[in-house]
Amino acid sequence: MLQFLENIFGPSWIVSLIAFLISTTVILIVTPVTFMMMTWFERRIVARMQDRLGPNRVGPAGLLQAVADGVKMFTKENITPRAADKWVHLIAPLVATGPVIFLFAVIPWGYGLSPVDINVSVLFVIAVSSISAVGLMMGGWGSNNKFALLGAMRAVAQMVSYEIPAVIALLSMVLFTGTMNLNKYTELQGGLPILGNTLKDVIPDLGLGWFVFTPIGLVGFMIFFICILSEGERTPFDIPEADSEIVAGYMTEYSGMKFAVFYMGQFLFNYALSMVASIIFLGGWNFPGIPQLISIAPPIGALASAVVLGAKAWFLFFVMIWLRGAFPRLRMDQLMAFAWKFLLPLALINILSAALWLTIMLWCTGDCTQNPWVFTVGGINPLGWLGNSPVLRQLVGFVLTAIINAGAFFWLLNVNRRPAGETPADLARDQAFGTASLP
Amino acid sequence: MLKTQELQINIGPQHPSTHGVFRLVVTVDGETIVDLKPVFGYLHRNHEQLAEVSTYIQMMPFTDRLDYFNSMANNFGLAIAVEKLAGIEVPQRANYIRVLMAELTRILNHAAAVAFMINDMGAWQTPLAFGMREREKILDLFEMASGARMMCNYFRFGGIVRDLPPDFMPLLNDLMKALPTFFDETERLLRENEILLLRSEGVGILPKEVAASYSVTGPVLRASGVPYDVRKAEPYSVYNELDFDVPIGSVGDIYDRFLVRIEEMRQSYRIVQQVIERLPDTTGGHINPAMASIGKQKALKPPVGDVYGRVETPKGELGFYIVSDGSARPYRYKVRAPSFINLTPIGDMCRGHKVADVVVILGSIDIVLGEVDR
Repeated sequence: MLQFLENIFGPSWIVSLIAFLISTTVILIVTPVTFMMMTWFERRIVARMQDRLGPNRVGPAGLLQAVADGVKMFTKENITPRAADKWVHLIAPLVATGPVIFLFAVIPWGYGLSPVDINVSVLFVIAVSSISAVGLMMGGWGSNNKFALLGAMRAVAQMVSYEIPAVIALLSMVLFTGTMNLNKYTELQGGLPILGNTLKDVIPDLGLGWFVFTPIGLVGFMIFFICILSEGERTPFDIPEADSEIVAGYMTEYSGMKFAVFYMGQFLFNYALSMVASIIFLGGWNFPGIPQLISIAPPIGALASAVVLGAKAWFLFFVMIWLRGAFPRLRMDQLMAFAWKFLLPLALINILSAALWLTIMLWCTGDCTQNPWVFTVGGINPLGWLGNSPVLRQLVGFVLTAIINAGAFFWLLNVNRRPAGETPADLARDQAFGTASLP
Repeated sequence: MLKTQELQINIGPQHPSTHGVFRLVVTVDGETIVDLKPVFGYLHRNHEQLAEVSTYIQMMPFTDRLDYFNSMANNFGLAIAVEKLAGIEVPQRANYIRVLMAELTRILNHAAAVAFMINDMGAWQTPLAFGMREREKILDLFEMASGARMMCNYFRFGGIVRDLPPDFMPLLNDLMKALPTFFDETERLLRENEILLLRSEGVGILPKEVAASYSVTGPVLRASGVPYDVRKAEPYSVYNELDFDVPIGSVGDIYDRFLVRIEEMRQSYRIVQQVIERLPDTTGGHINPAMASIGKQKALKPPVGDVYGRVETPKGELGFYIVSDGSARPYRYKVRAPSFINLTPIGDMCRGHKVADVVVILGSIDIVLGEVDR
């Protein structure tokens, strides 16, 4: 492709420029369309849960409802409160939404379909996704409204708190795989569950070596998904825009297109992080049949891989909608306690597990004697019996990390359990609640 | 220590979860509530003054608009008060139909109250949809009997405006089959959902003594552990012939209030069952023949004197104090509105909790602004 373009256009910098323009255009078209589909999808699913029909008038099955909403948003009056900081108020939605669209630049949409392939894309995702918190604070502060200020403070506190377990969960995966490149993650997750690519020569590539099937990946996925819910402000963590408490949080004073941009940023953030979670934990575009399809017919395989990855991301988004239709929201202090008392220790223990797994995998493979870091106990290598078989090492690592992670999970659950039936109030309730038979 | 500044927020008059036009002046330190002052009166409609220029029966439709969720129970209150004042006898059948309507109202109100509370906690309208589904069925019954869904205006002095239509009982029996499942579902939701428990247990506690000193009534009082119910304390109509219990809580937090509401729905269900059994054998028509026409209702002139008639509405004790000077219009008319009196201790309940708790506590008191402001 590049060679072909070079033949036509000449100097390579022009070719690069054109290639970037094309991918930028595609991203800028695909993401808003995704957003529109997401709003329709959410409304239909929640309506289904609530015994309603949802939007079904505009277009087939209401699919064009988002277009109608867009027209409405464009024609609405754009209100800036008189006492607001005009420029901050105007720029805030852009600051909140811009970084989210950056995220899509490093995400591999399918086999060979990453707009920009950089080596540290995980780091890029973490760094850029945090910028939108600034936009939220600008929106809340610039509106000069108390509800907006409260909402913005909540949003920032929440994003900062949940960033930490999310990053640590990703870090354990980085340790586990030894790479920060999102493209590499997909390659590493082929093969069989748990065993991964180790038996590639014996059994055909099933594309099921997803990290979510390993104890480290499972705990990491759990933590990361909860953090996505929180950072993307989804129920039960939609505290910054709790409509029954603080009206609409930092978006209270926004109307028309500025509001729509905020809204788009939020939905795309959910989608981008769902994609990242699918790539890192759910095997990316790996699925039985896809690796074979790619090797037979690369273009069709690439398309199919994009569909598979999209399906995984949409499934995660569906889970978010499901939660939204079913759960009430937590309170601010309960939210913080959950992040710092449960998720953070669990994420740290997960890192320990990842390090242990790595030690078992790499301990004394190859030329053992030359390695100054290998220590022996009484002249015997404590892991020498594992030999050089990666399958055996992987199984031992699996069992050990499974025990550690499961133990940590249940221990933390127990530590953080509500003291049910122990407080005097509970005891009194158990004894006294009932019916009084009055004369 | 960081120096913090207190912030004063107006929750309302326009706010998604104040259940009407109502304002809470909240002083917060960060997220914690330092002080809270309820401000009401936005919906004042001169209800009591209107009574003094109306005949007695003209007041009946106005009581529908007090607590528009429970128009039947409000009608009941006025009917009881005026019948006591004028000494009008009510036939047995009319009494049973009245009790049937009052208890259906209680189920309707509590279903909506529980649903709205969970909605205030942030569950995005799903529990509301399920609560409203049951409410719709009962409203259909009301429409059948009285011609209106919410503003029923069904009671008359000496009875009710017309007897139950023939289609009424089959529909009621269908509803009776569906209701127990609804109660169980709602209770399981509240007892088993971790987030609901976290949000409701130990929040908004109203101790027994404080509740009594504010003269709070209804489920809020019973949740605090005081077994007081007008239906038992001063039985009116045929309640002393019916068998039912009064559920009470112990701690007086949000969780107790909603357990009490769910149990009250079950007790109302029991009462309705008994009424359905006895209704075919009742004697007398739907109204006292002496009061059977609208002309007779209009010409009602109670003797000189005063009376306090009270009923247990779903929200608490609804009382009507009427002074008569012997003319066709009351000399003085005063309503003791349960929503209004239950709302007064909200400051005590909220202090020290978080902003997010305010709306849930408000939802757990279960107010209707039409009754608060009158």
